[in-house]
Amino acid sequence: MKKKAGRKTLATLTTTALALSLLAGCGGNNSNSNANKGSAGTEGKTNTAATTEGNAAPAAETGIDTSKKVELQFYMLGDAPKDLPIIQDEINKMAQEDLNATVKFNYTSWTDWDQKYKLLLSSGQAIDLIFTADWTQYQSYAKRGAFLAIDDLLPKAAPELQKFVPESMWEDVKVDGKIYTVPATFKEYVTNGFVYREDLRKKYNLPAPKDLATYEAYMDGIKANEPDMMPISLNSDIGNNLHYIYTELNKMVGALPYGMGVKYETPTTVYSYWGSDEQKEELKTMKRWADKGFIPKNVLNIKDTMQDPITSGKAASMFGDNPNRFNDMKMKISTTHPEWELAYSPFGRTTGYATPVHPIHNGFAIPKSSKNPERALAFYQKLVLDKRYNQLTQYGIEGKNYTVEGGYYKLVGTSQSNGFSREGMNGWAWRNPEFMLFDKGFDGVKAIFDELDKIQKPDLFLGFAEDYSSYQAEKAALEQVEKQYLFPLEAGLVDDVDKGLETFMQKAKQAGLEKIQAEWTKQWNAYTAEKGIK
Amino acid sequence: MRYRKRKSGIPLAIELPIKGAGLPSETGAWAQKKKKKGFLHELVHNRILFLMLLPTLLFFLVNSYFPMVGVYYAFTQFDFNSGLFDAPFVGLKNFEFLWKSGTLVKLTLNTIGYNLAFILLGNVLAIVCAILLSELRIKWFKKLTQSIMFLPYFVSFVILSVIVYNVFNYDNGFLNTLLAQFGAGPVDVYNKPSAWIFLIILFYLWKNLGYSMVIYLASITGISEEYYEAAKIDGAHIFQRIWYITVPMLKSTFIVLLLFSLGSIMKGQFDLFYQLIGNNGVLYNTTDILDTYVFRSLKVTFDVGMATAAGLYQSLFGFILIMTVNYIIRKINDDYALF
Repeated sequence: MKKKAGRKTLATLTTTALALSLLAGCGGNNSNSNANKGSAGTEGKTNTAATTEGNAAPAAETGIDTSKKVELQFYMLGDAPKDLPIIQDEINKMAQEDLNATVKFNYTSWTDWDQKYKLLLSSGQAIDLIFTADWTQYQSYAKRGAFLAIDDLLPKAAPELQKFVPESMWEDVKVDGKIYTVPATFKEYVTNGFVYREDLRKKYNLPAPKDLATYEAYMDGIKANEPDMMPISLNSDIGNNLHYIYTELNKMVGALPYGMGVKYETPTTVYSYWGSDEQKEELKTMKRWADKGFIPKNVLNIKDTMQDPITSGKAASMFGDNPNRFNDMKMKISTTHPEWELAYSPFGRTTGYATPVHPIHNGFAIPKSSKNPERALAFYQKLVLDKRYNQLTQYGIEGKNYTVEGGYYKLVGTSQSNGFSREGMNGWAWRNPEFMLFDKGFDGVKAIFDELDKIQKPDLFLGFAEDYSSYQAEKAALEQVEKQYLFPLEAGLVDDVDKGLETFMQKAKQAGLEKIQAEWTKQWNAYTAEKGIK
Repeated sequence: MRYRKRKSGIPLAIELPIKGAGLPSETGAWAQKKKKKGFLHELVHNRILFLMLLPTLLFFLVNSYFPMVGVYYAFTQFDFNSGLFDAPFVGLKNFEFLWKSGTLVKLTLNTIGYNLAFILLGNVLAIVCAILLSELRIKWFKKLTQSIMFLPYFVSFVILSVIVYNVFNYDNGFLNTLLAQFGAGPVDVYNKPSAWIFLIILFYLWKNLGYSMVIYLASITGISEEYYEAAKIDGAHIFQRIWYITVPMLKSTFIVLLLFSLGSIMKGQFDLFYQLIGNNGVLYNTTDILDTYVFRSLKVTFDVGMATAAGLYQSLFGFILIMTVNYIIRKINDDYALF
């Protein structure tokens, strides 16, 4: 009884506790980084592993009880398309008939999505389906028990879906031996590559960027010939836009936290990147870039998105971006400035390998707070495997929102006038390679994917679920130190690199760096041992 | 009165209307009467009045006191699977992150320092401007000035940050373009921590001066003309009239406003700092306050326990501060104390 009452008030308490902490009224403006994440992946190549049997919508429902009518709460990140109510009504007509359920599609908007996401999960609000990804910290939420394990639920509520997703993918998304999310089966690459203005390169006869040295030479040429142009597009998110791209180019296994270093070729050798000569090299390179005027002096206060300066012609290149977003920019430029030319050079050409997205990258989970987990999963199966559901939620209504011409998707009108653009519901997670329709412009991305396919190597490391409960305080403190002392270094703003690094290391150690690194290394070693990675 | 005194965990806005209603002079007698007859008698005797008070009381109970239970989160390890009271108790562990990076003292000092500057400079300037405006005799000019001073209050911090960025940005900011016109070299404001102490205070004043000025202007309007007439007849010139009549009459307004702002001295102007400084770590030494620090720390490692702990630290500090100041003021002059 007491416990029940406690649960009821949990939502109120959490909200108010937060209000108490005065974090509530924050008019944070981080839409820039969010917008970047939005297009985490748009489309790609059909998955060969996908079976064809899921095609026909199974009319006979499985062993779940659908006698009671329920409304499912569905949560997705980003902004809802204008025509969502129409689509939702259409879906509900079908879902009502098939599952005796209706669904409410909710969107977080990109502004402060991360805070909202965390609140949704921790406030105990009843949610039936929520988007998961590596960048929404799926692994750590799953580890801490935010989601429902669906191992036993799958054969009962969504047997077709269980067959449709390859066994290896179910294996890959497991956290502590349990499945917490339904992965997307669509294969794509979100690895980075240099994005640069090819027309300027030709005009001034500059080298094509393919590694650090040629990229620097390219920027030198831009600076000398186009003094009013920014050689590189940057914003205040230095960590993601300079540092992690630099390390990706240096074959780090991923965006590792706490200055940890693990190379793709030697995944069992863990070292401290911070304080190493390798890092010093990075910082000195950035210092040089800053001195040459590539990195603006007030880079830490720039709030633009990374892509806007490219499409508006203010900047000539991007250090790194993924094929999809490159293609988006290219399409945009082709209509506004057809005389410009944008080119792409994937890092795979330098590093010699490219990793397709890990199944964790797009998925849907059922939070612990769900009241109807069975129905939720059954509905999600419909969303993925039933062509009517799938195409309606991905492309809208045929004839009204889009048409199919020669096998290609075509938007009716413009993205402004049309209330539902391609993948308007951000349905990256329930893409079904068999039902996917591609824009003509997507052929460019396909070409890049094909090139990367030749050098593909699996991403074995995203499945690593860190458990930071034992060093949470240190982690929070360290993030501060990083922002205050390391970011300026990584942006080349500090005159004396050696001294700056020394100060940073000293402060980081004070915040508990050694404890964090030791604990992280232990967990990493356990992970590689468990997965048999050598 | 006594009831409120015991229960007031956090000083609330409820005190203002009561204070404004001119109760303090009656307080003494009221308290004495109550002592004799007891609280229950008082309750029955003034039941209609208490009934009228009930909605307000409920409002604060539900919105301010009941949620205080959530403070317990500060001492537990948040867990998705268990409710508030069955979550594991971890003592002061949630507070650790505040001092782990060794910046707690600096943050506290920054927060208090900025707020003191805001409160003192803000109030003094507001009083000066209010007096100057009230002495103006040309009506349309007075109204116009007042409106112009009030307008910045409606500018959002996001827009302010854009304005500031466009003035001080190194490559094509207004300031550096202007300096170049005069043949001077550019100034890199965004890498000068010391400059921001002044800039932040400056923009705070620019934004809030009009608002607090209106409060004082209202108090000045409330001062009876008779005092001034009498003073004029006695031959007091304008400065004497201001110094000996207006300023002393504003004292109680000043003290009430002071006490209110002291209670929230640990709560920085989050929007102002967050928007102007944002991610620029170079400036943190002089511009980081508790709110921005906590926000940044917990934005990534979101943890209900740690967030509550930080909030509790701020509230507790503010509580102690306002109790102390109120105590001192009551010692000096009982009439001016909040409670």
